[in-house]
Amino acid sequence: MTDNLEQLIKEAVEKALEGDMDAINNIEDRVTRSKAKAALVKAKREAAKEKPEVSSDESDSNQDSAKIKTSNENIAELIIQQFPEDINKDLCSEGHIQIHPKNWMAIAKYLRDDPACLFDSLQCITGVDLGEESDLEVRYNLHSMTHLHAIEVRITCSRNNAKVPSVESIWRIGDWFERETYDMYGIEFDGHRDLSRILLPEDWEGWPLRKDYDVQETYHGIVVPKVKEGWE
Amino acid sequence: MGVFENKFQDNVVVASLDKLLGWARSTSPWFFQFGLACCAIEMMATAASRHDLMRIGMLPRSSPRQADVMIVAGTVTLKMALRVKKLYEQMANPKYVISMGSCATSGGPYWQHGYHVLKGVDLVVPVDVYVPGCPPRPEALIEGLLKLQEKIQSDRPLTRKIA
Ligand code: SF4
Repeated sequence: MTDNLEQLIKEAVEKALEGDMDAINNIEDRVTRSKAKAALVKAKREAAKEKPEVSSDESDSNQDSAKIKTSNENIAELIIQQFPEDINKDLCSEGHIQIHPKNWMAIAKYLRDDPACLFDSLQCITGVDLGEESDLEVRYNLHSMTHLHAIEVRITCSRNNAKVPSVESIWRIGDWFERETYDMYGIEFDGHRDLSRILLPEDWEGWPLRKDYDVQETYHGIVVPKVKEGWE
Repeated sequence: MGVFENKFQDNVVVASLDKLLGWARSTSPWFFQFGLACCAIEMMATAASRHDLMRIGMLPRSSPRQADVMIVAGTVTLKMALRVKKLYEQMANPKYVISMGSCATSGGPYWQHGYHVLKGVDLVVPVDVYVPGCPPRPEALIEGLLKLQEKIQSDRPLTRKIA
């Protein structure tokens, strides 16, 4: 009897692994059915452990990231072929490319319009301060709705003359992203139609997210102290 | 009131005008409805049906001209500070301010590193009652409001104040 049952479960699991879930769902006895399901989960887990590359058992997200990986390499290569002088190959790694600011507009247009790239969505622009003695960096996160791949573009600019071409005319959403980056880091985006502060008041002094930022003493006659006198 | 005792009918109450005014004012201080950050959620909860501010005579008004009390509920950034001051100046006298939560009172979590936060709303407008907490529970805010009512009640608007 038990042998019979085990045989039954084994067969059902084998069928289910091939994609036929009815084999398990049709088992009438409730206990046997749940045993079969547990066996199926176990079998799947072991299969995944043994050969992680096999895609048939992998979840969708894994497939997606695999796709992104291959695409990123391809895109980096594409851009290197297209703009060999503008890309800093040493600093590129999986998932991001490091480019020189000079030709950024052309590269951006290419990234948006080339059928192999089609990055139609600019998801984020952010700034990074690489240290008081060092440079500033702008990072763009791009995503393609068509190919479902993503890439990060990084551009470094010097602290004292932080200028990067604006891509606001290419991705319209870049308008506010660039204004925010300007607001926090003082990076100027050349060619932006209205580069002004977006969060802080317009008469604010300094760039708050830079590492060498000093808080201003007063704002419109209101003291902005780090520590109020006589508090402690 | 000895002189007036038993001189009037039963449904006539005799009081000094000064006290009467204080009492009347204290029982309907309408508050100016604006929230600045997370504390505003608690202020809304206080005004909503469970805690029901209306039963102590308070209701929110959307215009500073119609309000007696300003509840500063939340983080006052420096950009907002100028506006808060302007709004306070637009309110009609007598006006009162409640500073709700540690942000409005002292800058709260931003007191040391918040470059953009006003370190206490009392730097721009005079505050009558401080309600501590981050955020204060509705009960705490109600207690603050009752304290404010006491304060208003003890005002003597007709008595000339000698400096
Ligand atoms: S005191 Fe706390 S709850 Fe209130 S606004 Fe500040 S951070 Fe938010």
